[in-house]
Amino acid sequence: MDWIYIGNFIQASVRAATPLVFGSLGVVIAERSGTRHISNEGTMLLAALTGVIGTKYFGNMAFGVLFSLVIGAVCGLILAIMMIWLPSNQTIVGIGFNMTMVGVTSYILRLGGDMLRSPVPAPAVKVLRFSLFDVFAIASALLVWFFLFRTGPGLKLRSVGENAMAADAAGINVIKTRTIAMVIACMFSSLGGMALSLSWVHVFTDNLTMGRGFIAMAAVYFGKWNPLLTTLAAFMFGGAEALALRSQALSATISSYYFLMIPYVLTLIVVAISGRMKGPQDTGKSYIRQ
Amino acid sequence: MKTIPKASRNNSFHYEVFTSVLNSHFGVSVLAIILSVVLLAALAALYGASPIEVILVLCEGALSGKRAIVYTLLQMAPIVLCALAVYIPARARFFNVGGQGQLEIAGLAAMIVGTNVTGHPALVIILAMLAAVVAGMLTIAIPLVLKMKRGASEITTTIMMNFVCTYFVYALITGPLKDPGAFYAASKGVPKEYLLPNFPVNSQLNIGVYFVFVIAIIVALFMKYTVSGMKLKAAGMNMDAAKAAGISVNRLIVLATLAGAACAGFAGGMEVLGVTERIAEGWALAWGTTGIAVAHLGGSPLGILPLAFILAVVETGARYMQAMTGVPSALVNVMQGLPVVIYVCLLSLGHLLKMKKIDMKVGE
Repeated sequence: MDWIYIGNFIQASVRAATPLVFGSLGVVIAERSGTRHISNEGTMLLAALTGVIGTKYFGNMAFGVLFSLVIGAVCGLILAIMMIWLPSNQTIVGIGFNMTMVGVTSYILRLGGDMLRSPVPAPAVKVLRFSLFDVFAIASALLVWFFLFRTGPGLKLRSVGENAMAADAAGINVIKTRTIAMVIACMFSSLGGMALSLSWVHVFTDNLTMGRGFIAMAAVYFGKWNPLLTTLAAFMFGGAEALALRSQALSATISSYYFLMIPYVLTLIVVAISGRMKGPQDTGKSYIRQ
Repeated sequence: MKTIPKASRNNSFHYEVFTSVLNSHFGVSVLAIILSVVLLAALAALYGASPIEVILVLCEGALSGKRAIVYTLLQMAPIVLCALAVYIPARARFFNVGGQGQLEIAGLAAMIVGTNVTGHPALVIILAMLAAVVAGMLTIAIPLVLKMKRGASEITTTIMMNFVCTYFVYALITGPLKDPGAFYAASKGVPKEYLLPNFPVNSQLNIGVYFVFVIAIIVALFMKYTVSGMKLKAAGMNMDAAKAAGISVNRLIVLATLAGAACAGFAGGMEVLGVTERIAEGWALAWGTTGIAVAHLGGSPLGILPLAFILAVVETGARYMQAMTGVPSALVNVMQGLPVVIYVCLLSLGHLLKMKKIDMKVGE
């Protein structure tokens, strides 16, 4: 156990945690405004693909990220129409959306052929040993925390999620606030997907996210809908994932599938510990102005 | 902010929409399916294929010839069971997204019994199927206990269980349960005499498929004509009212969830003993996820049957479609989610319009 090993491990943990941090920030923003963001997984998956497509098409990762962010925002708007403008059951729409995205992304991947399957070049700019995604993830966690708890619009957003009727009585446009929150949330989820495909694995494969959107949700529950605690929880999951990949390489006797289970088992344990969390009161409830 | 009493909050509407999803709106389901097939064809046009041809080829691949129809029915059977695995617990407000994991573990249990127990074929088959059903129930026990004791959201836990179960099965079939003679990750095959018999004898259709129809009818009758079915209905409509009426809601949730998992378990056992004979990598298709769609679109045990058939047609025809038109078969995976999204949106749009209408009348 030397310093290089520890350094590598920290780097791997941060890299694994970054998609989860972005994903959980998306969930925090959406759920704080009162929309259940189970669609996190599907949005991440779509953005992971569009990030790769954009990077290949424009030949530049910055444009790829921008392209994918636009797609993410459109995705958020569509989801807002389905879940906020219409009084739909957000859980069922979210799960249906995720499954649709699994099909859509694997279809587009096949349409793209070999061009899409070849790896994306690793991002050139590094801060110390971390990619810009990693740095930006931590910066956005601080930013989201500041926005939600220290600014006026943040207070409005939280009040809509806590008690939509009272917020409406106070003159806040509930539907509009939730829609904007959903669009921003989906852009954060998109960043999570891109961090996964562009800065970590460098290639898109079928169902690349493998439930990371849900792990991010578990991090949110564990972190009590607080961006900073949530980020800490995401780092814990990231560490578990890095550990899983590392031990897989070290151990020849134990099946690697057992190590791949670690993040999911940890999620189960975390959900068991946190139990019924008191989140924002009006999350998941449709609001109809009467 | 917390001074406003909960009862005055505008949240009753949400529950109304939720329960309406559990009631049958067959016309809306059909409309949702049609709309998603249109979207599917539009996506196929992206590839450059003629949309109408794609739909025709899908149907042709699944329905032309005896073999194709048998294969479609074999696909339909696990989808029906996985849909029941979602439907029955959903009546008690337990959203079982983990049908896939329950099915995987159940298949594993059936395979273990089938390869290790010897005796009278009928006895071994019954024992293997029982093992499958029990394994399905044990798999859901973890999310169920976490929900009842800790209040953990079953959506997160059942999805995590899906990954855990799939990896667990893979770990076993690449490790201790691997067939030494196989070149790829696969378990030993169940001996021929312990497989489910086919009926008619020379076809590929095993008797499990008939059982699926029987199970769906039993569930339908149970929901309609028994006291427990009535209680389940009451709890699904309004949990608080059911509690006030003296129904033991917790017991109901546990029983409904176990019954659902038993269905998924039956599907796993049936698949191993009737079709695949062994467990290999990728032996189970995504029946569990398709089942979620079918359960919501079907809305009743008997409504599940035709919708499972439609989605089975799409899935069976997919490979033929790829061979004939070149459109990647991955396209049809879209059908696992898209119809549900459209269905829920159509229903809630209807509710919204109805509500606006009432508001306008009140305004006059």
